[in-house]
Amino acid sequence: MGDVKTVRVWFQKTGAAKYISHLDLTRCMARALKLSGLPVWYTEGFNPHIYMTFGMPLSLGTGGLRECMDIRLTEEASLEDAAEQLRRHLPQDISVLSVTIPEDPFDAVAYGEYELRLEAEDPESLWQKLQELLAQDVVLVKKRTKKGEKEVDVKPHFTQIESRTLPGWLVLLAVLPCGPQGSVNPSLLLEALEVHKNLRPYGEITRCRLLKKDFSDIR
Amino acid sequence: MSMYPKELERALLNVQKPGRYVGGEALSMVKDKKDVEVRFAFCFPDIYEIGMSHLGIKILYGAFNQIPYFWCERVFAPWIDMEAEMTARGVPLYALESGDPVKDFDFIGFTLQYELSYTNILNMLKLAGIPLRSADRTELFNIVVAGGPCACNPEPLADFFDLFFLGDGEEVDLEVMELYRQCKKEGASKKEFLRRAAQIEGVYVPSLYEAAYNPDGTVKSYTPKEGAPATVRKSSVKDMDGAYFPESFPVPMIEVVHDRVSVEVLRGCIRGCRFCQAGFLYRPFREKSIETIDRQCQALCASTGYDEISLSSLSTSDYSRLNDLLDQLHTWTEDQKISLSLPSLRVDNFSPELMARVNSVRKSGLTFAPEAGSQRLRDVINKNVTQEELMRTVTVAFQEGWTRIKLYFMIGLPTETMEDVQAILELGQAVVDAFYQCKDKPKGKAVEVSLSAAAFVPKPFTPFQWFGQDSMEVLQEKQRELKGKRPPRRVSVSYHGAQTSFLEAVFARGDRRLCAVLEKAAEYGLRMDGWDECFDYAKWLEAFAACGLDPAFYANRQRNFDEVFPWDHLDYGVTKEFLMEECKRAYAAQTTPNCREKCSGCGASCFKGGICVGGR
Repeated sequence: MGDVKTVRVWFQKTGAAKYISHLDLTRCMARALKLSGLPVWYTEGFNPHIYMTFGMPLSLGTGGLRECMDIRLTEEASLEDAAEQLRRHLPQDISVLSVTIPEDPFDAVAYGEYELRLEAEDPESLWQKLQELLAQDVVLVKKRTKKGEKEVDVKPHFTQIESRTLPGWLVLLAVLPCGPQGSVNPSLLLEALEVHKNLRPYGEITRCRLLKKDFSDIR
Repeated sequence: MSMYPKELERALLNVQKPGRYVGGEALSMVKDKKDVEVRFAFCFPDIYEIGMSHLGIKILYGAFNQIPYFWCERVFAPWIDMEAEMTARGVPLYALESGDPVKDFDFIGFTLQYELSYTNILNMLKLAGIPLRSADRTELFNIVVAGGPCACNPEPLADFFDLFFLGDGEEVDLEVMELYRQCKKEGASKKEFLRRAAQIEGVYVPSLYEAAYNPDGTVKSYTPKEGAPATVRKSSVKDMDGAYFPESFPVPMIEVVHDRVSVEVLRGCIRGCRFCQAGFLYRPFREKSIETIDRQCQALCASTGYDEISLSSLSTSDYSRLNDLLDQLHTWTEDQKISLSLPSLRVDNFSPELMARVNSVRKSGLTFAPEAGSQRLRDVINKNVTQEELMRTVTVAFQEGWTRIKLYFMIGLPTETMEDVQAILELGQAVVDAFYQCKDKPKGKAVEVSLSAAAFVPKPFTPFQWFGQDSMEVLQEKQRELKGKRPPRRVSVSYHGAQTSFLEAVFARGDRRLCAVLEKAAEYGLRMDGWDECFDYAKWLEAFAACGLDPAFYANRQRNFDEVFPWDHLDYGVTKEFLMEECKRAYAAQTTPNCREKCSGCGASCFKGGICVGGR
């Protein structure tokens, strides 16, 4: 691979881009990288394509405020310029924050910090209901996996949840497992509310950042 | 869209592929409303992934938006899950660029690509909250227009549309939008606008024509009113090099059917296959120069970031300087890791050299369209391909490493007998035999031949426009002949539904009275008829019965040469006399040379373009 250098692209995936799948995101990135004219490294297989690897995929419908992707450059390039060139060619709702030299490998990702905005006429009372829910011994929810459905207890993951209220909204902050060792989808809390409390508030979920085992930011 | 209404966000969380409904693509055109005088909602009556694969919408989107005071936005039909969400939440049909409701637009324009999308048009108007019938929209606003191939017989839609564009849209559409802008300024009425629009070549205003019928149900006459011309001639771009072609288009964020740059290399077709409507509608055959194609390919790759270019047309391998074109494109595509593809291959000019130069075709499978099994029937339809050519071609393909061959056929062609149907299977067997006889065939692989048979649908402006489609019973018998007998080893057979082909045949050659049936069908909730999970044949029959119309009258009735057709007052250059002549030659199994070999005097030379004036 010679003088190939790995760089990390930090970006947001919001608005319209929230609604595209991870596979679609990779296609958008590939086109933008091609247009950027950056000296990106191509894989050397029968069908060469731009090398890209992502921190952790986002679920469809979940926004991301600090997502990351590694690419490789075959020539020296200014990181600020690289960020600017890439920014210019992406759809408006996929916006590049910066390009850095990676410090941590992606398998160091262990947690995601999520914000859940739940619509509520009376946010305080929704918070009460949520606390009642989490006061149960177990909070069982059906989780769909590739092998079928299984029941899991989501309570342990949501005990550290923080909350604040805005007019019409209950805003929760949760740090959940998210990484190669396993992930917990924040939407399980919404399912638990529906199953156990018969509540279906409209919820917007955003991943704010990815964290390491020691809860510090991945860099 | 910069802001979504909350109700829309809720809907998006409950549907498959929400990326269809959010816009926000790179290179989509967002304008400031205060700079815009005329807003055009370009509606594709099918889902996003299909509409965004269509070249016509990209050309017109670019052409409209290059005028600062026009703003063209895109609208697609929501899939049934999204439709249900929108209806339940009171979200009206909206355009992707601004998110504004379609009912806020000056023009609502549909492209008519296939008959089975007609109910989607009515459904989209309903979802937009716009009255279906032209007569119920009295203001100079919400002008509902359409173009595209099916506009050549727009009569089954005549009551819903204010005007139709016949032929190439690049120029005439803009002219009509200018006229609208003028009429707005003058405070003219919708009636006045339509009266003046009808004077523009390529514009058909159906409300200005009175249809009369004979006692037997056939058309008696069309009488123009208020100075409208007796016949409306299609508009035709003379010089393809001078015609507008976009340098960018919105790049979908989700994967669409044709996810690549598509550049039109020529318009029209030299071939004259007698079943093919496009081959007659788009005459004359007009090529772009290599320089133009090269420039357009470069511009689109540079703006979109795609790494594949499709050189598109009805028959790209008929481009007169294809090798020179590929040479020119290769001077830069290889460095940029861009691959080239041809959308269609002909049996008679397939070569390993050509295949080596386009990367389109995966080693897995090659597709050819002999269209008919026997030589006699191929002569009837003027598909000038011989069995020897097909055998030579598949042998070359086997030598080059291909092992899967797909062959497309039609059943129900005029003069077809059971022997012709059997000949489809025999041709499949012959391809298998050719594989085993081929010395350089790929080692250790088995050959797979799949035969696919669609039911033939007779279309206006073709030599078969008089032909009564085979009844459903006959078609099904032919399908049984294909499928029921055990197909030869290594050959598989599939066919498409006869019911949808029947419905296509009804609307392809239908008249104005069918508007009532479409309205009824929309009332019954029929839409997405091209999708198996939505198509409801029994409900369709109910709709016909409710309107007192017999679908077989339109689909299965053999017409006489002296019958007046619902599209006789529309002029696509090709004359009825020529089509009659071709029809007679078909029944005599006589072929007709292609435009490059010899001019057959079809009438398209009236447009003074392309091969008709440039020699061959």
